[in-house]
Amino acid sequence: MTSTTSRRAQRGVVPARAGGRSRSRWDRFGLPSLLLAPLLAVILGVVGYPIVRTVWLSFHEGEYLMTGAFNGADNYTEIFGDPYFLAALLRTTIFAVVCVVTTLLISLAIALVLDAGSWAARIVTVVVLLPWAMPRVASGIIWKWMFNDQYGIANWLLVSLGFDSFKGYAWFNDGFASLVAITIAVVWHSVPFIAISMLAGLRATRGEVLEAARVDGASFYQQLVRVRLPMMKPLLTILGVMSTIFAYQSFDHFLVMTTPPGGPSHSTEVLSLLTWLQAFTVLDQGVAAAMAVVTFLLLAGITAVYVKLSKEGT
Amino acid sequence: MTRRLIVYPAMALICLASLFPFFWMIVTSLKPDTEIFTVSPQFIPHEPILSRYTELFSGAIPRQFLNSLLVAGATTVITGLIALLAGYALARFDIPMKRYLLIVILSIQMLPQTVLVIPLFVVLRNTDLLGTYQGLVLSHLALTVGLATYMLRSFFMDIPVSLEESAMVDGASRMKAVRLVVFPLVWPGLAASSIYGFITSWNELMFSATYMQQSSRETLPVALQQFFSSYYSDWGGVMAASVIFTIPVVVFFLLVQKRLMQGMVAGAVKG
Repeated sequence: MTSTTSRRAQRGVVPARAGGRSRSRWDRFGLPSLLLAPLLAVILGVVGYPIVRTVWLSFHEGEYLMTGAFNGADNYTEIFGDPYFLAALLRTTIFAVVCVVTTLLISLAIALVLDAGSWAARIVTVVVLLPWAMPRVASGIIWKWMFNDQYGIANWLLVSLGFDSFKGYAWFNDGFASLVAITIAVVWHSVPFIAISMLAGLRATRGEVLEAARVDGASFYQQLVRVRLPMMKPLLTILGVMSTIFAYQSFDHFLVMTTPPGGPSHSTEVLSLLTWLQAFTVLDQGVAAAMAVVTFLLLAGITAVYVKLSKEGT
Repeated sequence: MTRRLIVYPAMALICLASLFPFFWMIVTSLKPDTEIFTVSPQFIPHEPILSRYTELFSGAIPRQFLNSLLVAGATTVITGLIALLAGYALARFDIPMKRYLLIVILSIQMLPQTVLVIPLFVVLRNTDLLGTYQGLVLSHLALTVGLATYMLRSFFMDIPVSLEESAMVDGASRMKAVRLVVFPLVWPGLAASSIYGFITSWNELMFSATYMQQSSRETLPVALQQFFSSYYSDWGGVMAASVIFTIPVVVFFLLVQKRLMQGMVAGAVKG
């Protein structure tokens, strides 16, 4: 896979003298700069500047969305002394780990079923990807309805299966049960993309090596664990980190499914929700900026691991 | 043979899990309240009603729908243009520090939205763009351009460079060669990045809820979230609104799903 990519990259570069006329200077510097200018403008304007500004804000007082005096690391000492922030940090991390593990396992199972192939797999592939297209706000609302205490289909199903204690069970009165329901909704939403990517990865492992393993009498399980998954390691790394980062950023489902946002009594507050509430409900943008910077550093760390691991994979 | 015995039931289960929430949303929106609030669920409505939809359509929903369409449409077009130009440049030219630029482009995708939401609020307030469509579109570009550029770049790299070289040898300028020879071939990539941009913008909640405070400019995610938090016992009405919100993306998705999957897979496998 890597060798094809690099070969393609070599093939992809047009020699500056192509065409023979004296336009090399324009071709080499002018044109690419012009083509890249809009992208760079957007990156600098709505991504680069805001990052710098957030870092700057995190060292200042910022009540009522007005920037106040420089206050050193006060905002950071404040959030790291705030039990709600620390709880949210821990809660988000656990939530992310559970989401990622569940998502990856379910996705792998789906990808294997689709890879086993048949006339139906093509249609099922489209069906699998469908939840990804549903707006997160809508899916949050629907899952909240399905987890309704009196009339929800989840409780009805659980009671019909013999778990009588779920009769009228109020999922959203309790932090842990709320998180279980939200996790299910988030996983339902994040599985499609990961499953389809894994399917592509599984298909790419078909070939001589797998054939040799099959001829040697390796079982389905041996083929998967000893041959196919190791071949997919770079892809699995990317998908793992991508889903970790998406889980850390979950916001819509939490805002929609918990009342009040992050409740009951702060028991479902996650980093993104807490930061947003801090900035636009508590109106303290300095502290909120510090929270955002901490999240950013955390995710940057994860991204660095991703870049490193995917380099090792090649 | 035993394999089939596992695969087909598994496929049925997968379809059920994928589709049931869609089905349940639609069915609930069509049932009168007496059929919604039952102890054991009623899977098929006995007396389906459309009154929830007619009620919604006489309210603020058409306006909010248009707002969303406007913002998502503009975001899609602008993202497509930017990504088309930049994707070509990154696929075909030796650009200094290209490696780092690509890493930056991919990292944008990993940024927490909370890092952007506060300073963009300040920027939009200072430039009088707070609560305007332009402002919201601008903020959505931050979420879309990175991956769209990356996707289009991989599509350009799959088009043999000899095609434009031969057109250029024949005397066409590079721009002309690109316009006539390369762009027609890159349509699938453009379709993929467009649907990605559209879905991202259409579904986006955090920026929209923060920047579009004026009710006449509200987009659907914001309106739905607020509707839900104030009338959350009106499950039928909330479901009908969710259906209206979901239909455009699902239709758009089904129209271009083949291209989209190619693009996403290219991004994931080559990335």
